[in-house]
Amino acid sequence: MVQFLQQLINGLSIGSVYALMAVGYSLVYSIMNFSNFAHGGVIMFGAYFGFFFLTLFHFSFPVAFVSAALCTALLAVLIERTAYKPLRERKAPFLYFIICAMGASIFLENLVIAIPAIGPTFRTYPEIFSKEPFHLGLLTIGRLDVLMFIISAVCLALLVYFIDYTKVGKAIQATSYNIKASALMGINTDHIIIIIFALGGLFAGIAGVLFGMKYTVYPQIGMITNKSFIAAVFGGLGSLPGAVIGSILLGIIETFTSGYISSQYRDLIAFVLLIGILVVRPSGLMGKTTEDKA
Amino acid sequence: MSKKITAILLTCIMIITIGMTGCAKPADTAPTASDTIKVGWMGSLTGDQAVWGQCEFNTVKMLFEEINAKGGVLGKQLEAIGYDTKGDPQEAVNVAKRLTSQDKVVAIIGPNASGSAISIASTLEQAKVADIATVATNPKVTVLDGKVKPYNFRVCFIDPYQGAVAAGYAADVLKFKNAAILYDVADDYSQGLAEYFEKTFIEKGGAIVVKEGFKGGDVDFRPQLSKIKAANPDVIFMPYFFKEVALSANQARELGITAALMGGDGWPSDQLITMAKDAVNGSYIVNHLDFDDPEVQDLKTRYKAKYNQDLELNGFLGNDAVLMLVDAIQRAGEVDSEKIAKALETTDIKGVTGTIKIGKDTHNPEGKEAAIIKLVDGKYVFQQKYSPK
Repeated sequence: MVQFLQQLINGLSIGSVYALMAVGYSLVYSIMNFSNFAHGGVIMFGAYFGFFFLTLFHFSFPVAFVSAALCTALLAVLIERTAYKPLRERKAPFLYFIICAMGASIFLENLVIAIPAIGPTFRTYPEIFSKEPFHLGLLTIGRLDVLMFIISAVCLALLVYFIDYTKVGKAIQATSYNIKASALMGINTDHIIIIIFALGGLFAGIAGVLFGMKYTVYPQIGMITNKSFIAAVFGGLGSLPGAVIGSILLGIIETFTSGYISSQYRDLIAFVLLIGILVVRPSGLMGKTTEDKA
Repeated sequence: MSKKITAILLTCIMIITIGMTGCAKPADTAPTASDTIKVGWMGSLTGDQAVWGQCEFNTVKMLFEEINAKGGVLGKQLEAIGYDTKGDPQEAVNVAKRLTSQDKVVAIIGPNASGSAISIASTLEQAKVADIATVATNPKVTVLDGKVKPYNFRVCFIDPYQGAVAAGYAADVLKFKNAAILYDVADDYSQGLAEYFEKTFIEKGGAIVVKEGFKGGDVDFRPQLSKIKAANPDVIFMPYFFKEVALSANQARELGITAALMGGDGWPSDQLITMAKDAVNGSYIVNHLDFDDPEVQDLKTRYKAKYNQDLELNGFLGNDAVLMLVDAIQRAGEVDSEKIAKALETTDIKGVTGTIKIGKDTHNPEGKEAAIIKLVDGKYVFQQKYSPK
């Protein structure tokens, strides 16, 4: 029983990391209908921004956290303006967007490696919160896990409020429903796209800093985001609750496979299960449409 | 009519060009006979193991400069041409092809990763250029299906030996009875060490209570560690690289695991200490050399003076690879890649990591002792030289 609960806690903690990252994919997908693979690179930058704000500029943690998120929001918008906008104006097929996004992701990773002050070595965040975990009987819960859970929950709640109850949020919903019709109704869809990328960037920054604090910072963080992307597809790309639920489920499935079946075959078993679910429900758990999710 | 002339002209041009490409060959090889000896280097300049690759290439460049300042080898200057393998075996093959066919090097130093060293074998055989791997410890680097690969050599000991050393030391010296293994299922190096640790530890009367796997690139090991904790071992063997070691060690302590940790030559790094100083305190490492050995201090100081960085493990083995190559070129008496490969087979030199006497049937340094290092308060403390019986 203790083992079961501990593995459940482990799974929730891993799932919440995926969830923070998956939200950014879903946000952009809901409007633009393509998978923004540059998101992984932006998350990596978020982790580095946070790290340098804390160690080089000696910001306090909340300040560093918020500034890192703002910087990544800016970065995400910058990528949109330079890489995607020209494609949008030329009405390029979606495949081009995906390839462009992959290019941006590879560019960002190599940019970090090429900057001598950063380089390929991995960095460790200073210890802001004690590594000593909470003990509940025989169970252990990491302090950072609790913090991450709270921050993610608050940010997601704010995001849902923003989308459901503000005027801009309504415009986002309309745009995600039909971008051409919304433009005809007087919504400045170009602004909406900027807002969406800024929001995605904000979440990338939050995810990056928390990831860096929990694990470490290195140029290949983007690799982990592949799994969160899969979680977003699993939950139903374009759906925010879907991204969160898909991520948490993926975390739990992974943990229980390694805990009870075999850690050697974890990915094999976990992903066969995912493919199975997608075969039954091609649009993911919460997805509305059956469009191409490439 | 004019069409016919054009056709004839074109044919002439084609024939001439074909003839010229044929002539171009000897002109290309001419520079090798000049005053420089081109030596290739390959390894990870980017990626997880970039810290090591960069240090290794820097060491090779530094040593070449020093040798050149003293007049070079056979009166010729050494030139290092290095490319990044990105730690990717496929990329390593591309690099090997480029070094042998385009740069026409006489021998290659590196790569440090076993996966890359294994994949380049056929390219080397085609080009008849020898390679001296530095920290590639997998048996398959030099021997495949019982047959030695003619152009693959190395300066380090091999995984079975390393795994056996760790198991022998854990069972005989530290008197541990129950061991757990956590290893990277997608990595040859990690698998090799885990396999031979398990074999030797059981032979010595110990028990492997749990064996768990993960996949390279993972950052969370708590599901596996929770299982290991429930099995309550005396020691956890972690045969993988320092980034994952740091993460898994931290998480193990977070979960309240107090067992001793043990690892191989994938551990030693300053990064490990910055990241997990407390978590790895009291752990044991099997390594190629003792960093505090008086004999290696000179190399460490020279490197620090030049690059203002600490010399990593790869630098020491890179140094011995250079010594081995220079010795072979001198004994071969001429700059010919095949003769150098032949000379490498009879190497018997003393490097900073120990005596390197290449076995003809294995192309491995025979009987090289391993160093057991203990981590104490962020310092690598040498325990003893050890080889399992």
